[in-house]
Amino acid sequence: MSATIGRRRALQLGGLAGLAGLAGCSGKSLGDGGSGSGSSGEAKQLQFMFWGSTAEQKAITNMLKAFGQEKSGVTVKPVFTPADYDTKLNALVASNRQPDLCYMQSPMGYRLAEQGKLVNLYPYFDKYPDLANRLPGTYFWWDKGKTYGTQSANEIMSLWYSKAALKDAGVETPPAEADKAWNWDTFVQNAYKLTLDQNGKHPDEDGFDPKRIRQYGVSAGLGPTVYQPLLLSRGINFADDTGRKSMLDSPEAIEVFQNLADLMYKHRVAPTPAQLGNNAPSTTVQLKTRRVAMVIDGQWTLLDLAQGKLEFGMGVLPKYDKPMTITLGGATAIFSSTKHEQEAVELYLFHDNPTKVDLFSTGLWMPLEKRYYTDPKDIDVWTKNDAHPAEYKTAGVDYTINNSAPYFYQKLRNIDAIDKVLTPAIQVIQQGKTPAADVLKPLASKLNGSLLQGTYPTNGS
Amino acid sequence: MRAERRWGWLLAAPAILGFLIFTIGPMIASLFFSLTDWQIGAPARFIGLGNYHQLAHDPLFWKSLNVTTYYTLGVVPLTLLVGFVVAMLVNQGVRGRGLWRTIYYLPTLVPAVASSVLWIWIFNPDFGLLNSMLRQAGLPTSSWIYGEQSAVPSLILMSTWGFGNAMVIFLAGLQGVPRQLYEAVAIDGGGTWARFRHVTLPFMTPTIFYNLVTGTIGTFQVFNQAYIMTQGGPNNATEFYIYYLYTKAFTDSEIGYASALAWVLFVIVLVITVLLFRNARRWVYYEMGAAR
Amino acid sequence: MIREGSLVRRTAVWILLAAGGLIMVTPFAWLVRSAFMDDNQIFVSPPQWIPRPFAWANFSGALSSQPFARYFLNTMIIEVLVVTGTVLTCALAAFSFSRLRWRGRNLIFGLLLTGVMLPYAVTLIPTFVMWGSVGALDTFIPLTVPAWFAGAGGGVFNIFLFRQFFLTIPYELDEAAYIDGATPWKVFWAVIMPLSKPVVVVVVIFTFIGVWNDFLGPLLYLTSDSKFTLALGLAGFQSTYTAQWGFLMAASLVVILPIILIFFVLQRYFVEGVTLTGVKG
Repeated sequence: MSATIGRRRALQLGGLAGLAGLAGCSGKSLGDGGSGSGSSGEAKQLQFMFWGSTAEQKAITNMLKAFGQEKSGVTVKPVFTPADYDTKLNALVASNRQPDLCYMQSPMGYRLAEQGKLVNLYPYFDKYPDLANRLPGTYFWWDKGKTYGTQSANEIMSLWYSKAALKDAGVETPPAEADKAWNWDTFVQNAYKLTLDQNGKHPDEDGFDPKRIRQYGVSAGLGPTVYQPLLLSRGINFADDTGRKSMLDSPEAIEVFQNLADLMYKHRVAPTPAQLGNNAPSTTVQLKTRRVAMVIDGQWTLLDLAQGKLEFGMGVLPKYDKPMTITLGGATAIFSSTKHEQEAVELYLFHDNPTKVDLFSTGLWMPLEKRYYTDPKDIDVWTKNDAHPAEYKTAGVDYTINNSAPYFYQKLRNIDAIDKVLTPAIQVIQQGKTPAADVLKPLASKLNGSLLQGTYPTNGS
Repeated sequence: MRAERRWGWLLAAPAILGFLIFTIGPMIASLFFSLTDWQIGAPARFIGLGNYHQLAHDPLFWKSLNVTTYYTLGVVPLTLLVGFVVAMLVNQGVRGRGLWRTIYYLPTLVPAVASSVLWIWIFNPDFGLLNSMLRQAGLPTSSWIYGEQSAVPSLILMSTWGFGNAMVIFLAGLQGVPRQLYEAVAIDGGGTWARFRHVTLPFMTPTIFYNLVTGTIGTFQVFNQAYIMTQGGPNNATEFYIYYLYTKAFTDSEIGYASALAWVLFVIVLVITVLLFRNARRWVYYEMGAAR
Repeated sequence: MIREGSLVRRTAVWILLAAGGLIMVTPFAWLVRSAFMDDNQIFVSPPQWIPRPFAWANFSGALSSQPFARYFLNTMIIEVLVVTGTVLTCALAAFSFSRLRWRGRNLIFGLLLTGVMLPYAVTLIPTFVMWGSVGALDTFIPLTVPAWFAGAGGGVFNIFLFRQFFLTIPYELDEAAYIDGATPWKVFWAVIMPLSKPVVVVVVIFTFIGVWNDFLGPLLYLTSDSKFTLALGLAGFQSTYTAQWGFLMAASLVVILPIILIFFVLQRYFVEGVTLTGVKG
């Protein structure tokens, strides 16, 4: 029997030896001198942490490699974190092992910036015009003359549609120019024409079977990225300019929310959250399978649509008064713990430069610098390709520059706490059993209580 | 008996060391955090029981505690019952029982992402599997995970279907039932029921007890379904305790508050576990000389 | 004894099993059919069960998009280290807690059990800080070493499970061995373990699957692409803005086939009568 014991012991020891071996070849770990020493003149290493799909992983990794080639003496280690990103970032910050640059959600960015953990990029504006001249809504100012940077890239909300579905229903394509945007009633009327049950009947026809809808006119939902543009169009916003008083109890807001709910429950031209399902198929799949004819979704969906072998089009959102959309996007920031701030800033400018990353030309991202929306030569850099449809100039480029305001989740203070009250309340409207007014009035007073704590500065002065 | 004591400590040493090295430190750290207002990125300030006071007035804390208790009360008994019955069935000398066991274990093997997409379809009120079946049978339909009332029962149903782990443990337990006792019952003229009641069941009590305790501890920490499928909605109907804690810890970075949440749950689960162990003396059968 | 049942009874059991089996196999069937569909077909309503056409490209596309062979190797290294460590140290501890009498053993067992009652979300950061301070980030150490200490934390469930089984084994066996002059180690190894194959199999299965599917651990501790595991590889197919469902399903299918096979092989050890032969031996 002792032989057996011996064998087992040996196995155990072997295992431990194996572990030691693993430790030996561990290499440099995040934070353990990951930023390089710099002093001894050896290669400077930066770490860049990011999320995204496998396609984005490839694009970003290539971009980082290109940076290392253009900038001798600097290498960048990509730290790809496909999911549970906040968990990892929090753990790294808590243990003081943060990367040099990383993507982050804007509320966390503000929080870290206020604690002095992020580099203020404002002092670099004079040196780098491309940093100074970006779309105003994309900056994250946390104080006067203090910004931890901008979004990693820009996005807007748009109306996407299947050309075939519209042609079959004899509906003209949604306007691609802001000035010609459909008003709400036209939008609803067209959605009626595009909604069909299994027998081909529309919702306003006798015998329409709402339980068996084959094609919905539009998929909109009741998310903040959908209702905010409509609030803006109606002349109001989520909160007033001070960011301390909610405007959700105004008649205009009630109308906007009730109209969105009515799309699902009164007009029955849009799928309810239940009909659509959480974890829903992508916009591309919904349009391609003709589950819906039109979808309100972000610009990022263009990447997917352009690869989907589908006759699709891009339009501007329906309007009430002024045609409006929002600009939005996650942040990229530089940690002030970096040992190579100058190189990190250069990488910052490199990483969202449309001539360096193909994620702009493939349709996933929109540029940040204003010149990419105003100078025809610069516009061509990222839109003159197969991914971007002909109407993109007006529906994407002009719409952004002339008809957008920043997403309120990126500007309001205390947004994480607001969200915990806001989202459940909006879900009540979304279930269609409670009139919007009954939800919004108590919600507004709750928000006005202590949740709305003002906005972050909208500019540097 | 000194030798026995020495051996006792020696053989338990890896576990005890593991606890001292890897577990107790982080536990004490989090207990300490719970007495501070630490938010990641900012310096921590000692605030005594401040977080616990705030908890008592936090509607989401109470909501999440209710939801989680409700869920646990549903899932644990159902999983035990179904797992036990199926384990008995696949333990029979039926043809291809290896295949049956594997089939019944399959749901626990399918990755959560894939199975949640499937269940989202099953629960779809319009064209989902469940409502289609109910409609054909002429029964009223439900809005499943999309209704405030029906969301938690739907998730209980879904979790019960993953009874495979409980089943496997029961299966292993069934192998320990001494066959000669079955023969003894047969000699006494006992039938199937007597065999089950007087042999199988008593011998299975340690396993049942195990599944009960670990099931309770584990189910109180339910997280994935809220995280992947419902994001706590609709209207916080599935705001499970750990989901709430997780968003506090990693979205809001409020480690202090999240730690207080964790320690409240710890105490609750500890009390329940102690009660279960106390109660176990009355019904769990161990071999003579076993632990008391 | 159990096999004695009449033909009628066996048929009844069989029918019952088949009916239940149909429900149980649905998710797997769903996974398989989705793996062969392109994204457009996966979500068609009402759902279709036969892919038209079969999208074989999902497999080549998914498997070539990432170095899955490397990920597989990494995962297997972790598996071997974790499974052996967990089984050995957990069984030893359980043996001590159930079959050796020493003062304080129940108290210590209870203490160990509290380790799984505190949600991991709040111990995650202190643990991470700890591994960072010993320079073990971006290595397999945080993922494997705790297993050799009875799996630390979650491993307590395994100790508990072993303990529950050991408690049902007749004590006369130990006593007889001790009279023959055996040490506790020998009783553990030569008497108890041979009688405990079913529970060893359970712990092996659970630990193996746990490591196979563990996502958060590798995500936190590994930063270099070359050290990623299969579970991390899968996550890339479902990101914030785009989900490649067909790829995800195809890769998931390939990834779970080995564990299904392992389960099928190991479940053979759930065979009755082990105790009986044990008593005589």
